[in-house]
Amino acid sequence: MQNRHILSWFVLIVSLLLALLLAVSLGSERLPIFDLSDSQAAIFFDIRFPRVLLGACVGASLATAGASLQALLRNPLAEPYLLGVSNGAALGTMIAFVFFEQFVFARPLLAFAGAGLATFTVYQMARSRAGMNVERLVLSGVIVTTFLSSIIVLLTSLLDAARLRGFTFWLLGDLSQSTMNGFYMTLAGVVIGTIVLTSQARPLNLMMIGERDAMDFGVEVGRVRMIVFGMASLLVGTAVAASGSVGYVGLIVPHLVRLAIGSDNRLVIPFSAIAGAIFVVLADTVARTAIAPRELPVGAITALIGAPLFIYLLKRS
Amino acid sequence: MREVRDDLGRTVKIPRKLDRAISLAPSLTEMIFAIGAGDKLVGVTTYCNYPAETASIEKVGDTQTPNIEKIIALKPQVAFVSTASQLEAFTKTLEEQGIAVYVSNPKNLDEVFKDLGQLGDMFGRSAAAEDLVISLSGRASFVRHQANYHAEGSDKSVEKPKVFVQVSKEPLFTIGSDSFLTALVEQAGGVPATKDVPTAYPKLSKERAASLNPDVIILSDSDDNREPNLAFKDSKAVKNGRVYRVNADILSRPGPRLVDALEEIASKLKEKGK
Amino acid sequence: MLEAKNISVWFGNRSVIDNVSLELEPGQIMVLLGPNGAGKTTLLRALNGTVGIKGGTIELDGKPLSKLSRREIARQIAVVAQENETKFPITVIEFVLAGRFTHGAAFGWESADDIRAAENALKLCDLDEYGGRVMNELSGGERQRVVLARALAAEAKVLLLDEPTANLDLAHQALMFRLVRDRSRNAGASAIVITHDLNLASEFADHVVLLKDGKVYASGPTNGVLTKENIAEVYGVQVLLDSNPASGKVRVTTVY
Repeated sequence: MQNRHILSWFVLIVSLLLALLLAVSLGSERLPIFDLSDSQAAIFFDIRFPRVLLGACVGASLATAGASLQALLRNPLAEPYLLGVSNGAALGTMIAFVFFEQFVFARPLLAFAGAGLATFTVYQMARSRAGMNVERLVLSGVIVTTFLSSIIVLLTSLLDAARLRGFTFWLLGDLSQSTMNGFYMTLAGVVIGTIVLTSQARPLNLMMIGERDAMDFGVEVGRVRMIVFGMASLLVGTAVAASGSVGYVGLIVPHLVRLAIGSDNRLVIPFSAIAGAIFVVLADTVARTAIAPRELPVGAITALIGAPLFIYLLKRS
Repeated sequence: MREVRDDLGRTVKIPRKLDRAISLAPSLTEMIFAIGAGDKLVGVTTYCNYPAETASIEKVGDTQTPNIEKIIALKPQVAFVSTASQLEAFTKTLEEQGIAVYVSNPKNLDEVFKDLGQLGDMFGRSAAAEDLVISLSGRASFVRHQANYHAEGSDKSVEKPKVFVQVSKEPLFTIGSDSFLTALVEQAGGVPATKDVPTAYPKLSKERAASLNPDVIILSDSDDNREPNLAFKDSKAVKNGRVYRVNADILSRPGPRLVDALEEIASKLKEKGK
Repeated sequence: MLEAKNISVWFGNRSVIDNVSLELEPGQIMVLLGPNGAGKTTLLRALNGTVGIKGGTIELDGKPLSKLSRREIARQIAVVAQENETKFPITVIEFVLAGRFTHGAAFGWESADDIRAAENALKLCDLDEYGGRVMNELSGGERQRVVLARALAAEAKVLLLDEPTANLDLAHQALMFRLVRDRSRNAGASAIVITHDLNLASEFADHVVLLKDGKVYASGPTNGVLTKENIAEVYGVQVLLDSNPASGKVRVTTVY
């Protein structure tokens, strides 16, 4: 059993390295492998490299958040974008952008707060005396998502249109505004989030069976729930603050990981982080190159793959 | 009543004496004022800010979401619109109220001149419109002539500058093959850096932006577009201080002030860098 | 070792358990009987602290339950409840290993001991070859045995079983009760069992608690509790009583 894990780790990490290598070698501009001129070096190190790295972190964040929210809510359809968590973070980012532009940390902080608030609201709406069923959770997510969207639309209408013009594009998920600072911030989020959530993987395994079962067998359910909500909000918050709402990553990636290695969260959570990084890096490579020199928003690519999968999973459940 | 053809080729019935009209586009408002028929406008959009007289005209919402009740209440004879979006339902409602809908959507300077003539005809200001078109087209020809002389004249080694027009900094939007600004930059004596990129206002890859290395960057001046994108930090334009802001209104409105834009761009292109 | 004194449970403004006391001794098998809605499951849940009590105290080895963490409680008390279906492809061995959560650290991987305990529990429940199968693909009865195996794997001193035989065939009903009895005889482990099967109760219980409307109606050794009068009063049915020729215990036959 342990040997199989080592092999899986190896395969995933090699795949990630290959994906990163492919991503940095493709772009709207063709660059030589050696002897880059100054301007080519600038394209590579200032534009392409940070974008690929940020894409990896965003993918890891969203997939990890998705995997752990699914285990917690006992629902493979739970996904940050569909639950409205991403929209909460987007609204937070927007408020930071409009009112606290001068503070560097306002964006991730308010994105975190927005994500947390949205998570908590959906959870409160979705739970009932009869427990939490798929339909209730999905519906609550839809309601929170549309409610937050309407606030975002309201804000864009009320505020100066020119300043928020970029926002509508960004809302769909866009990695073109990558900077090394954005990367460092998201990296910090993803390292903390993935480590803490992996540490909760064993209690999450029990909670995935049932909250009551988990309590019976010694899990402090309330504490685990707080930790998962907090860390998922941190992950989604930092990812959204850097790149907008890239949808469906948290749905597709954990699903594929479970197909490959089963549902033990001690593997699903860290593997989702790596596989999420691979997925977004590849999706963004398509976004960057498909109609070069123009660009597609990466969120459109992920949604194109994710929405049909969501329907398939919903039909099956 | 008489019948005229608008820019979409639709036949529109217009009263012989037109004295109550609304405009649903800033460019159309400017054109109507330019031919001296501004006093006939009873309603304009919230975006219509030029000339200053527009301030005292009733506002009927913005171009995308006009307030149809307000339009009807103002009892115009004709509504001038620039866009075909939602035209069918919009037109039907207005025509049921006896309000004609005329579409004017010029895509380059010559079409601006042609539409000015048609507007002059409709508002009974043909003479004024003709004078205006002669003056505007004269100024435009002068710029074109100078630009070509400047480049192809005595000193063949002087190359036309490569010009990047930045519409928005983040995300990076520019002008593409379908934008009238691409033609305008050419007429002003520049080579539009993105003239082969499809669509009118594409989102451009920063890698491409960096490798374009333009000689001149023109910023469509607005709050979110005061500086060139970081992708240009090593470009000739930034190094030589050849980054210019041009009023976003005159760049974005295909109206009479497009000639101002042409002149302004041409004069910037002639400036020497640091 | 597990003692409840005068406990009450309220759901909103409705009293569900009213002033109930009971004491479970080491090695004892206690059966909770009573009609639907009598409060059996709630009482069982209160005894491991997963349902809060309004009044009274519960003590585990002399320590108040409210002072113990979930982990400390689960170390001593394992539960066999109705299993709820999961949408994830969890394997049988993963499910049973959940019973080992309180052994060793809360994170990391199970030890060889844990695996051995889980495999042994599966073997006891007649599930030797089931470890790699996925829970959702099992029958209701097989799943119920997996739930029992999980509780056995916990190696706790007290087992709380909520209708453990509801989905089981005759052979596996007997297997389950034999397992519980063997543990109490050989390992001094005690159990509280909820069942509707009065004959199984009679056969295996050391002590019977008959609940009615959240109160203890009768409590004591089987013979004293399972009387015609008590059953008629609590369940509202007429029964005939005789003795089981194999064991000599009370046998209950319903008169329809």
